[in-house]
Parts: sequence; structure tokens; C-alpha cells
Amino acid sequence: MKKLAPISLACILALILGALPARAAGPALPAPQKISLSNGLVVYVLKNPELPLVSFRMFVGGAGSACEPAEAEGAANLAAALLTKGASGMDADAIAEALDFMGANLSFSAADEYIQVSGDSLAEHFPRLMEIAAGCLTAPAFKDDEFAKERARRIDGLKAAKDNPGAAVRYYFQKAYFGGHPMGHLASGTEASLAKMTVQTVKDFYAKRFRPDRAIAAVVGDVDGAAVKALLEKTLGRWRNPAGPAPADAIPPLPVPQGHKLLLVDKPDATQAYFVLGAPGYAMGDKITPPAAVMNTLWGGRFTSWLNTELRIKRGLTYGASSSFRSWIPGGIFQASSYTKNDKIGEMLDITMELLGKAVRDGFSAEEVESARNYVQGQFPQQLETNSSKASAYVRLAFYKMGFDYYDKYMAAIRKVTPAEAKAAAAALLPRKGYVLVVVGKASEIKPLLAKFGTWQEKKITDPGF
Amino acid sequence: MRKRAVLLVAALTALSLSLPAAFTKADVKVATLANGLKVLLVEDHNIPTVALYTFFRVGSRNERTGLTGVSHFIEHMMFNGTAAFGPGEFDRRMEFQGGSNNAYTADDMTAYTDWFPPAALEAMITMEADRMQGLAFVPDVLESERGVIASERRMGVDNDNDAILNENVRATAIMAHPYHWDVIGWMSDILSWRRDEVMAYYRTYYAPNNAVLIVAGDIDPAKTLDLIKKYYEPIKASPPPPPITTAEPPQLGPKNVLIRKEAQAPSFQVVWHAPKANDPDFIPLSILAKPLLDGESSRLYRRLVREEQLALQVGGGVQETIDPFLFTIEVKPRPGADLDKIDRVIEEELAKIKEQGITAQEFEKAMNGVRNDFYRGLQTVAGKVNQLGTYELLYGDFGKLFTVMDDYAAVKIDRIRDVAAKYLTETNKTIGKLIPEGGAK
Repeated sequence: MKKLAPISLACILALILGALPARAAGPALPAPQKISLSNGLVVYVLKNPELPLVSFRMFVGGAGSACEPAEAEGAANLAAALLTKGASGMDADAIAEALDFMGANLSFSAADEYIQVSGDSLAEHFPRLMEIAAGCLTAPAFKDDEFAKERARRIDGLKAAKDNPGAAVRYYFQKAYFGGHPMGHLASGTEASLAKMTVQTVKDFYAKRFRPDRAIAAVVGDVDGAAVKALLEKTLGRWRNPAGPAPADAIPPLPVPQGHKLLLVDKPDATQAYFVLGAPGYAMGDKITPPAAVMNTLWGGRFTSWLNTELRIKRGLTYGASSSFRSWIPGGIFQASSYTKNDKIGEMLDITMELLGKAVRDGFSAEEVESARNYVQGQFPQQLETNSSKASAYVRLAFYKMGFDYYDKYMAAIRKVTPAEAKAAAAALLPRKGYVLVVVGKASEIKPLLAKFGTWQEKKITDPGF
Repeated sequence: MRKRAVLLVAALTALSLSLPAAFTKADVKVATLANGLKVLLVEDHNIPTVALYTFFRVGSRNERTGLTGVSHFIEHMMFNGTAAFGPGEFDRRMEFQGGSNNAYTADDMTAYTDWFPPAALEAMITMEADRMQGLAFVPDVLESERGVIASERRMGVDNDNDAILNENVRATAIMAHPYHWDVIGWMSDILSWRRDEVMAYYRTYYAPNNAVLIVAGDIDPAKTLDLIKKYYEPIKASPPPPPITTAEPPQLGPKNVLIRKEAQAPSFQVVWHAPKANDPDFIPLSILAKPLLDGESSRLYRRLVREEQLALQVGGGVQETIDPFLFTIEVKPRPGADLDKIDRVIEEELAKIKEQGITAQEFEKAMNGVRNDFYRGLQTVAGKVNQLGTYELLYGDFGKLFTVMDDYAAVKIDRIRDVAAKYLTETNKTIGKLIPEGGAK
């Protein structure tokens, strides 16, 4: 394969929230029908009869990993996963059999700020899928043995993740950057937090935070408006709010790295060294988003970006190098990452630092900025092509209160981004003084190459946790 | 990364059952130029995007010792300059016009995948036609790209234990046929290919008579065909590439791979020789894979992950290939799990299927899964193009995409038992284990 596929949700988010339709005719996202259920849950519905498929998406705000109490790291995702492991009179095997029989998908998982529910099926099976989804959501069993199995799988999964340095470096980065801040919670939990967790912790988290008054849903596909309303009322409509008010769930402002925080993780069998560099970005919906998207496209966001050009295209140091912004309600981060064989990691980091300085100092040419504007617009239509991507967009835009005309407004903004604005975005957002840099690799070979960047905290990959 | 993408394509195309009324064979306009280039055009104005895919009938199957991985290397070099467009120009011009692209190499084919706004159509056809025979192979660019491929191999294989085991098991199970090596190639070959050898390989396989061009999306088919004729007709046909004649001899007994290396978790895999895609036994085997391996209700997920708690994940199945390849069961064991016990559980479950077959419920479930996979593969313009190209290359007829549902519908449930008994035998089997040494217990 020529390039890495977009790796993270961050990239997808960056694309979705930082991109535009190429045509002015009609809105980027068709206006959906809004259905309010008797319990207050709002569901946006769009009919698309092209294929006999339906997609359902829902966010439950205030129930993500960053909403967990410090001692319950991993509870959100564990609660979500356990919903399909027994509920409303069906055991885990019965739920799995019912879903697999239809060839349908139903998953509950934790992001930082919300629980995401995804369901996809053939149109003929959609009523049954929603029955099962509602059953899981409203009356999960949280059985002790299922809790024990899921917890054990997660602990083992965290160990297995350390065999893949490209995956492990992202866990280490999240911990190094956010420290004790709730955004540092790993969705999976850590070996230590999982060891201490009880099924009661998970039940409490669910009882308090999985609630329809914090949820937003969307259905897109081969559905009929009247029938789907009746179906949703009969299924999701019976989900009841807990007695008390929704807990306050504002996530505190994100930490700002002071100076250079450097972490080296020793993986003695690694033949490549992997780095992630991070610094403060911007909050979801911030005015700087359009120029930041153009700037990042040029610096590290596409194949011909400065970073990939210097590290891959010109020097053949790596298979891939990229950067992205990730944004949440309380703030955001900038991340750049790549990997190269052990003896080249010093050169790779030197070039990365030089390119950061160059963008801030010189900015970008008019032709480059025009190219980035075209690229961001030209790549947009595919981002909303499928039922599931449209359903996700409705839910995401509603959750972040950005309005369904967001992409149209954004198009107008992107078209106007000037070289001066792109340079200003680089100056405001690219890391210069304060950043966090994590490297996973064979310490005995790479340590001498890293010494010039400062004093490194060191860990062994076999040490528990990240 | 590359391998997973290829497996996914295979799974989607293998499991096609039924067609949406919205997409029929009549929607595909076909033309063949005098130089042998086959062109498929699909008009679809759902989104203002064009997907232009070029498939070449070349993959790691066409390589030889010393030149392993070279098909994939040429895939990379296709972005590195011709006489008309210097190194990097393809990407720069394409991105300037709002387009993006990727490419993949598989055992049997190489595909170049472009997505762009309609206004960029002529520019893209110009550059695609140009690089079909015009690659420059600038020496220092070639050396730099060699480093990229070495990094890709380090990332995708050498620093990934499951992939290390995968490569070893494949090379042990298949000893004669070129499927012996992985698409990425051996590291020593990557570091040693000579420019003249690479160029000769390119000249052999990159020709209009060895390619299929598919353009779909927001296009006018007649105007698009005119553009294609304008830029592709001047390209000369080449002599047909040599056929691949090596056939894998029958396996005479079980084989074992045992790797000990630093790791936190073990890896486990078992494979059997399986028929080629265009064999009557292929579809029954692909149906068998569903109740055996697919989803949390599958027999092996239930036994290995839920009941015995020996594993974190289970997967596998058959891959659509021109020549016979493998039926694979991949298991991610829990750290410390007894790998022999995993093997015994797999054999117990297979023994039941060989004796009793699968249930009617499992059969219907497999068919529902097939329908879901098929429709999901056709949700995007890019998905439709990829399906058409894969069928055209593997079966020599894109039209099979529109009849494969009949092939699935015609399968009788007893055939599942028969193919399990025929292929998943002790003699035909290779077991691979990677056991952690050092590191955490």
C-alpha cells in the first residue's frame, strides 16, 4: 500500500470537521426529520432507499472515559461493552446469536466525552436490531462472570498492545501528555485500575450517566418516516431517565505542557523507533478551525505535506509521517508522528523540529494555500457518502451544538483562508516551547541520538501500565 | 496494513449474494481499445466525486526469487516520476485539484485508486495514461523509495509478531508456488533489487493489454470514453506476460512452525491448502468460515474466547486468489495460554462439522452475513469500482459480480460438511506458534 490509511478517529474528525463540499448547490448534509420521543430523546431521521440498509448512531454525553471518577478509569468502556453481555432476559450468547443471525452490527463504546452506540443492519432486520439495542440500554444484567471475563480480556489486551510499538506509543503519549487529567484516562483502563475495579463501580457509572436526557440519536437508510417513529418510540422511547438530575460533567481545561517533557520507552526487540509529539491545539468549534485545517493539510495532513515530503518522499526514512488536530469541548491538541529505523530517529526529529520552525517563521506560499483549500474541499463529498457517515455527522454536530449547516458555513470560511491566516495559525498552534515528546524504541541504540533534545524520563515496555 | 486491506477486499467479494436493483450489469458500459485496454464506465451522480481505478494483472504471484516484493515496489515507484511529470508531480497536481489517491498490491493484482472532483478528470486521465509506460526510475529517487519500503516492512512485519508468524506459516505451507512469499517481499531482496531488473519487470507487466481501467461516479460516460481514447490509444500493446506454471504439489503430512522471541503475548495460526477462487469448492468453504469464525456467536469464538478463555480474538477464512491458496484460522491467545489446547479445541470443532455439517440456523445466518457484506461493499462509488475490478481480474469477467448470488443460492447445506472433510485434514495442515521469551510473564 502506498500510504497509511487514516489511522485514528482524530484524523476522521479532522477531515469531517475541517472539510467542505465541492458544490455550492444544496446543503452538504441534507436536512433530517426531527423526531422527539416521549422520554425527551431526539432522533434525526433521513430516508435513503438506495440500498436495503439502515444505520443507527447515538451519543450519550457525559458518559465517556473523561467523565469517569479518577479511581474508575476504564469503567465507561467496560459498562458499554457489558451492555451486550446480557440484558432484558437475553444472555450474552443469545444477544450475539441474534445479531450475527441478522449479519448486523451493534456496538457500545466509550469516547472521551460520550458513549457511542453504532448499529447497522439490513432494512428488514432493523426493528429487531432496535429491540435488542433498547434491551441492552435499558436493562443490562451486569453479571459477575461476564464482568470478570471482560476485565481479564482487557488486561491481556493491554499487554498484547505492547507488542506493537506503533500502537503502544499512542497509549504512552496519552498518559505522558494528560497525566492525571481525566483526558488521560485510557478507554480500556489500565492494568492497575482494572485490577481494583468491581462490578459495582461499573453499575454505578451506568446508573448515573447512561441517560436519555443526555443522548442524541440518528437513523439513516431505507426506512419509512412514520414506521420508524413508532419503532423508536416502542424501543428507545422506553428508556427512562434516572431520578436525579444529570451529574455535572464539565471536563476541566486541558493541561498545557511547560517546557519539554521527554519520555523514552525501551523496547529492546524494536527495529524501528516510533515518536509522537504533542502540544496544545484548539477546542471544538473554535474560530481558528478553518485556517488551522489549511495549515495542517500543508504541514502534515496529506501525502505531499512538508513533513511527509521531507521524511518519506525526499529521504526515504519512513513509510509514513503525519500530523493532526484533535478537538474536544474543553480544548484540543496537535499531534505529529512517524517512525524510522533506530539509527535515524535523531535525524528524523531534527527535521521535524526544523519544519515546525520554518512554518512559524516563513508561513506558506499563495499556491500552497490554494492547493490546500482545493484539497480540503475536494475530499469532502466522500466523507458523507454512506448512511453511517451521515448518521454520525448528525449526532456529532448536534452533540457539539454546531448546527446542521456547519459544513456549508465552513466551506465559505475555508474558501477565504489566506496565506497570512495560515501562517498565523502555524504561529498560534505549532509547538515551539512547550511540548510532550514520546519515543518507543530500542534504548541501547537510540538513547545517544536523543540526548541533544534534553533530559529523558525512561521506562521499560515491560513495566506495568503506560 | 497492506495485507489486511487485501483480505478485506477478498472477504467482501467472496461473499456476494444478492444485488440491489439500483446497480445492475446494464449500468456498466464496456469498451476495449485496439491496444487491448479494457474500460468499464459507471455513471453515478450520488456525490460530486469520480473514482478512477486502474488494475494491472501483476502481483507477487508473478515474482521470482531475488525479485520478491518488486510488484509492490513498482506500485510505489508509480508516484515517483515520468519524463513528462517529474518525481512527486503526480501527487502535487492531483492534490492541487482536490484529489487524493492510494494504491495496493496483492498476490494477484496491483490497483491504483484515485478519487477527485469531476473537473480534474482530464488531468487525471492524462497522468494515469502517462505513467502506464513512462516511468523514469530516477536512480536516487529509487534508492530513497527502497528505504520507504524497508520501513514499511519493519512496521508491517518485523515489528508485528502476528505478521512474523503469518509470513513464516505461509512460507512453510506453500513451498513451490510464488504465494510462498508475502507481497512485501524478503528484506534482503528489498535491499538488493537492481534498477535494470525492476525496469524490465515494469515493461513486462505495465501495458494496456494487461490492465483494466474503471471510471465511475460523477461522469458523462461518452465524454469520458473520448478522453480515455485520446490519451490511451497511442500506448502500444506489449507481448503477453509469461504464464505462471508452477503448481503447488500436494502436502504429504502436517507441518509445524515454532518461533520463540521477545513478546508479551503469544501468536497462533493454523492453515490448510484451499482451492482457487474459481473452483466449485471455494464458495462452500467461504460459507463454512462464517459459523466457524465470524462474530461472537461463531463456534470458535464461543469455545476459545468465551468458554475456555484461551484467546482474545479469533478470525480467518479463505482468500480469493487466481491459484490455490490457504484456509486460515488466526487466534490471538491470551498471555500464558496453552497453545496445544487451542489446537485441540479447533480440531474438536472441525471434527463435529466434518461429521454433522453445520445447522440450518448457521447456514441461514451465513447467508444473511453474505448479503450484509455484499451491500456494504456497494455503499460507495469506490466500493462498486473495487468490486468490478476484482471480479474482472480474478474471474476474467466483471459480470460475475451480478451472478455470484446465484452461485451462493445454489449451494446445498451438505456441501459445507463435504468441503470441511476434504480440505481441513491433518495431512493438509500447517500449525504456527509464536511463544514469548523474556519480557513480562
